[in-house]
Amino acid sequence: MSTSEEGQTGQVISCHTVEVWKDNFEKGTDSKQLIVVDFTASWCGPCRFIAPVLAELAKKLPHVMFLKVDVDDLEKVAEEFEVKAMPTFLFFKDGKQIDKVVGAKKEELQQKVMAHSSAAAVAAA
Amino acid sequence: MAVSGFEGFEKRLELQFSGDDPVVNEIGLRQLHFESIEQVLTQVQCTVVSAVGNRYFDSYVLSESSLFVYPTKIIIKTCGTTQLLKSVCPLILFAREIGLRVSACRYTRGNFIFPNSQPFPHTSFKEEVIYLEEQLPPNLCFRKASVMPSKLSSHSWHVFTATDGSHMLMQQLRDESDEFYTIEVCMTELDRVLARKFFRRPNDGKTGDSAGKEMTEITGICDINPNALICDFAFDPCGYSMNGIDGNRYSTIHVTPEDGYSYASFECIFSVYDDTNDVVMEALKKVVQVFRPGVVSISTTGTSTDEMWTRMSTAFEPLGMKCRSCSIDEFPAAGTVVFGTFTTRRK
Repeated sequence: MSTSEEGQTGQVISCHTVEVWKDNFEKGTDSKQLIVVDFTASWCGPCRFIAPVLAELAKKLPHVMFLKVDVDDLEKVAEEFEVKAMPTFLFFKDGKQIDKVVGAKKEELQQKVMAHSSAAAVAAA
Repeated sequence: MAVSGFEGFEKRLELQFSGDDPVVNEIGLRQLHFESIEQVLTQVQCTVVSAVGNRYFDSYVLSESSLFVYPTKIIIKTCGTTQLLKSVCPLILFAREIGLRVSACRYTRGNFIFPNSQPFPHTSFKEEVIYLEEQLPPNLCFRKASVMPSKLSSHSWHVFTATDGSHMLMQQLRDESDEFYTIEVCMTELDRVLARKFFRRPNDGKTGDSAGKEMTEITGICDINPNALICDFAFDPCGYSMNGIDGNRYSTIHVTPEDGYSYASFECIFSVYDDTNDVVMEALKKVVQVFRPGVVSISTTGTSTDEMWTRMSTAFEPLGMKCRSCSIDEFPAAGTVVFGTFTTRRK
């Protein structure tokens, strides 16, 4: 359905293979960007509920890297980060996990993305 | 008592579906577009405030209570002046589009505190039953409606069930669907000090999500089932909702804390294989301690649980709650429904 748009800013990048995931994660880490990873599943209704909110945030914040990982496609990655419920949003800075939102919680997601992205922008400046 | 306030007592609808395609049955209703769910909720007059899913089911916290979507089962529970039964028709139609047909229906509710504020078709249980009967397809031919009384005029239990008979056949085969029973707890006259914890401070600068999380922690709701992942939400200026997900089991709590018509509900499913003494009783005791209500009504639906009721009375005794009434009835598709009430001894 969605195609991976590598390197495109302002969009949520779907990582269908471990390679695409690793490449993007490294790139985001190297460029000191805030990385927000959405762990999602095709059969998860709440994931469909929150998807437009995430797309909107990605459009608004081109300096933040938004990655999307389907837990069935990349089972190992989901396991590595102990994702048990969908959607789970993990926040990374300098390769380290700095925050987490479990569930499609619109307000909380927006607030945390805003807070961490402004902190990241200050740090980068 | 206030002339009119927020109606805490929920209406609860459970629809069971079946299909011929096993693949459809695996994901089933979870593949419904969010727009479809939104359409259903618009009819009912509520919206989604937060949601989460796992391998087994999807859980939604609504502006008025909760929705749970399993591959072949939907549970929708709404409070206030929502028109829950208006969801029946669109749900059946949307399910049909993905190859599922309705096979059983169960509608339950307590006694409204403000019955005159309820809109059609919730103006009376009779109206509700007539409306439901019209919405359901004729193959759901085993039907029963009954009001289970208690000794308290404020608490009684309204039950309507309908099934096409396939469910009864499955029960004989001791199918997995037979394993779970539902517990619905309605509490009124909450302890005032404890109820205050479900009020937000003006301009607290928090989101509904973060304020909800705080309430979950300070009230002890987080200890009811420590294994559950909780999706919580605090309303402004007061009120609280949470859904807990633990494997294939859900639990849910809703609180209307205003004095004069304070109300809290707890609902969950348990397996008949659980050690009822430990798991179920401990959870129920914790729930009662979170709210310290004056009156508690409990209904269990599923496989016969007589023994459990004896244990419940024993478990509630040290909390100062005494069993006032207990009635039992049989319903097609639902099995045995036991409805009992407890009040504090001072009453």
